[in-house]
Amino acid sequence: MSEPFEPKIIAFVCTYCTYAGADLAGTSRLKYAPNVRIVRLPCTGRISPMFILKALQKGADGVLVSGCHPGDCHFTHGNYHARRRWMVFRSLLDFLGISPERVKFSWISAAEGGKFADLINSVTEDIRKLGPFDQYKELIKETETPATL
Amino acid sequence: MITQEKYRTRVKELLANNSVKMVIGYKQGSTADRRRPLFVRSFEEADELVLDSNCIGNLAGYLVTEGLLSDEKRVGIFLRPEGIRSINILAAESQLNTEQIIIFGFDTSGREVKALQGEQAGDFSGLIDSLKEKPPEKSSDALLYRIDQMNTEERFAFWKDEFSRCIKCYACRQACPMCYCRRCIVDSNQPQWINTSSHTLGNFEWNIVRAFHLAGRCVGCGNCDRACPVNIPLRFINARMAQEVFESFDHYAGTSQTQEPVLASFNKDDSETFIL
Amino acid sequence: MAKIGVFICHCGENIASKVDCTKLAAAIGEHPGVEVSVEYKYFCSDPGQESVKKAIRDNNLTGIVIAACSPRMHEATFRKACAEAGLNPYLCEIANIREQCSWVHTDKDMATEKAMDITRSMIEKVKRNNKLQPIEVPVTRRALVIGGGIAGIQAALDIANAGQEVVLVEREPSLGGHMAQLSETFPTLDCSQCIMTPRMVEAAQHPKIRLLTYAEVEHVDGYIGNFKVRIRMKSRYVDIDTCTGCGDCMTKCPVKKISNEFDCGLGKRTAIYTPFAQSVPNIPVIDKTSCIYFKNGKCKTCMKSCQINAINFDMKDEFIDLDVGAIIVATGFQVQNTAGYGEYGYGKYPDVITGLQFERLASASGPTAGKILRSSDGKVPETVVFIQCAGSRDPSKGVRYCSKICCMYTAKHAMLYSHKVHGGKTHIFYMDIRAAGKGYDEFTRRAIEEDDASYLRGRVSKVWEENGKLMVRGVDTLLGKPVVIEADMVVLATAMVPQPNAKEFAKIIGIAYDEYGYYNEAHLKLRPVESSTAGVFLAGACQSPKDIPDSVAQASASASKVLALFSKEKLEREPVVAATNEITCAGCWGCVLACPYNAIEKKDIFDRSGRLVKRVASVNPGLCQGCGTCVTFCRSNSIDLAGFTEKQIFAEVMGL
Repeated sequence: MSEPFEPKIIAFVCTYCTYAGADLAGTSRLKYAPNVRIVRLPCTGRISPMFILKALQKGADGVLVSGCHPGDCHFTHGNYHARRRWMVFRSLLDFLGISPERVKFSWISAAEGGKFADLINSVTEDIRKLGPFDQYKELIKETETPATL
Repeated sequence: MITQEKYRTRVKELLANNSVKMVIGYKQGSTADRRRPLFVRSFEEADELVLDSNCIGNLAGYLVTEGLLSDEKRVGIFLRPEGIRSINILAAESQLNTEQIIIFGFDTSGREVKALQGEQAGDFSGLIDSLKEKPPEKSSDALLYRIDQMNTEERFAFWKDEFSRCIKCYACRQACPMCYCRRCIVDSNQPQWINTSSHTLGNFEWNIVRAFHLAGRCVGCGNCDRACPVNIPLRFINARMAQEVFESFDHYAGTSQTQEPVLASFNKDDSETFIL
Repeated sequence: MAKIGVFICHCGENIASKVDCTKLAAAIGEHPGVEVSVEYKYFCSDPGQESVKKAIRDNNLTGIVIAACSPRMHEATFRKACAEAGLNPYLCEIANIREQCSWVHTDKDMATEKAMDITRSMIEKVKRNNKLQPIEVPVTRRALVIGGGIAGIQAALDIANAGQEVVLVEREPSLGGHMAQLSETFPTLDCSQCIMTPRMVEAAQHPKIRLLTYAEVEHVDGYIGNFKVRIRMKSRYVDIDTCTGCGDCMTKCPVKKISNEFDCGLGKRTAIYTPFAQSVPNIPVIDKTSCIYFKNGKCKTCMKSCQINAINFDMKDEFIDLDVGAIIVATGFQVQNTAGYGEYGYGKYPDVITGLQFERLASASGPTAGKILRSSDGKVPETVVFIQCAGSRDPSKGVRYCSKICCMYTAKHAMLYSHKVHGGKTHIFYMDIRAAGKGYDEFTRRAIEEDDASYLRGRVSKVWEENGKLMVRGVDTLLGKPVVIEADMVVLATAMVPQPNAKEFAKIIGIAYDEYGYYNEAHLKLRPVESSTAGVFLAGACQSPKDIPDSVAQASASASKVLALFSKEKLEREPVVAATNEITCAGCWGCVLACPYNAIEKKDIFDRSGRLVKRVASVNPGLCQGCGTCVTFCRSNSIDLAGFTEKQIFAEVMGL
């Protein structure tokens, strides 16, 4: 058996809750898998489906989107709007063959450092089990090969 | 035939007393069962109007042609129920004023054409509500059934195969009454969210984004599907989006001209079972 | 060309022990556009910051990335350093390689690799950062206080005593609100009127307070520091400047049998009236719906009785337009309509009354001059049953919350009754006794121990009349037995509910409300007196049920927020706001609907001949809070958010 597969995961998080939760995991010195790269945004309302597509294009095997719990949004409603968009976008990806297992959504508050660490570990494990997103990677490869006439 | 004659007469009547400046309808196309849009401004042109079961295109998109409605004169248009829903959405999105639109509503069952009662978008609200009450029909399409039976890898492979044919001609966008943006996101290159080359990745991205932008707005008229020169079954994708917003948010696109866009509104109790 | 400086901090051993900073600095030095890539033990220290500033100046850097702790720690520090070195502070980004890397990973190679990714993506972002300038908004130093109850009065006085102008608007003919209706107040049993009326007078006479009674806010426009408000002055039909408040008109008015709202229907008033004897201002109004002249054009008795001709039947509503910089909403509450409680017989039996009606009976200035008397026969009740939570904490009746004040006022009622009616007996049905507050629990204990109130833990199922007595059937859950009490009076501790027009009014001001119509605070714990709209603050029971001390405390808190706002001539705001592209905007208004702050307006675009070309969305930077929900909604990508632009995020993701 070769080395275990290390998935690449890109996370989009809001700065007020999940980013602060991730900081708390750090100040509490919790340990979690090093596979996730975080992109910080002001609010989940700012997280566009386009970001998820670009993350996949950059070779992410999984994407995580996370923000404040309902009712806790710093901007009062951003996460409610985001929730609707995710619901629809997730169903669209599923229909087109991009497994919902690869695009995960969560609520993590600024106080939930432990939940953040646990989630990163479980998402990393889940994606590891799914294996690399080879199908999408083939598409990326195609863009890099010169066209044949 | 009776409906066609009735509407031809009505069109002439409206033209004669200057109630409309133009009527958008159908005329004979290049083959026996094809119909193409007709822009009626005179009695002679009115005589070219055809209305039969082959009139399937949704003409609503022509109304948002830049400048057409800016003189505030009225325009008539032939529409099926889904076309009337398009009018409601366009009005809800401030693209037109329904008072400016005279609707020649019709529907077909088999080969027969029947006229719909009413001339203003609001007159058809009962009809549209009754359409909403009927649960969206589960398509009996064999291909859709096959897609639903696939696992995600197979579905990905299926759509990859379909999208690999896409040539990024944007006919789907041109044909869609909802694609009225002055600048489409695909034409925005700072940043270039969507790869414009017609490689499969770019095609995936384009079709995903278009379907997402139509969520809660598509009325299933089938214009995009028919326009696609490489026969990608776009109707299935849009229908899935319509089904999703209906089941999750009880949203049926185009019920009224005051309907809130589904992705610009929310309910605190929206489902969130998928959120960890 | 981008010239980016990257500064990699060891944070002592905090980062360096898990991230190979030397390797990181070397690899980053190779990254396109990176001019400087250096490591140091503590960049947040003075010499560390100095070295950053020197590097910026020496190399003419166009942007910097500090790879160190979380931006929540030191972003401000390094932005300041940038500004001091002559670089726009918004051209600084932080790569978080401590909290989100070195502290949470154990494998040094993997942590170093992750630190590289994080730093690279921030370099790609900062290359696209724009110079931003803080947004300056002028401030009109005048506050509008809506509601002349104790909360509004307190807020107005606090602001005015600090030397700022206040406009105090009250929709009733007099200041006072609910507090003016109360008899004595818990837990000290001091007379409400005695502490309230001096405040009312002080507010009315204060040189910095412009008092507008019998007035309503019609329209609010604008944003923090710059609100435009339209106030409707309802016609009193009495000239407020000439009237001396002698009261002759009221004595002469032939319509005397109008149910008095102030006395909760227990007393009567005339058609020309002041709500109560100590009204401020003491100027009557004519109740148009009851006045004989307005009904059939004859009478004018009051006009004839007025010696100074202060009465004018031709008076019209007037509008006042005001510029204000801040708004305090103190619109108060109502008591729930008890009609939904048929089982308690309210409305059917005259001696089943609400707590507020009991207050009027117990009040020295009330319809019975402070005697507890039955409405039905004017007799003194010998047994009184109080029912707590008559409405509150009852999801089936739509009120899930606790009204907070009823436990206390019911204990107070029992006490007042036993002080006024010696030998009288009180029974109180309760669910829980919630007496949290200074001196509150002691107060309820006193009711039980000194004033002999008998508390029965349980609910009442029915009240009916039998042989002139009100029969109250309930259950004593502590004994596990049903009980029936023969009472002469039943007092319902009805729920506090928002004003009936609370939701519509919230829309006028542009603030958020909850499912009941209570106004939402910006943050329940950390910003409890600010509404979700910048520059609008909350005080009193319009936010949630409150007693007097809480209302006053919140009013003073709101006032201090307003004064802090007024302490500067201009407001400075973070420039993280959205802006629209008017050329590509299709005018679908989805963003207008999605914006939580009503910060997006419709803007008309005209050509040179003044013809309307199109209407587009336009963001008001004074209102925008920078969440970016609109950006994500926009299908044509016609809105962008400064500091988190599409280009920046795109580059950041593509840099990963």
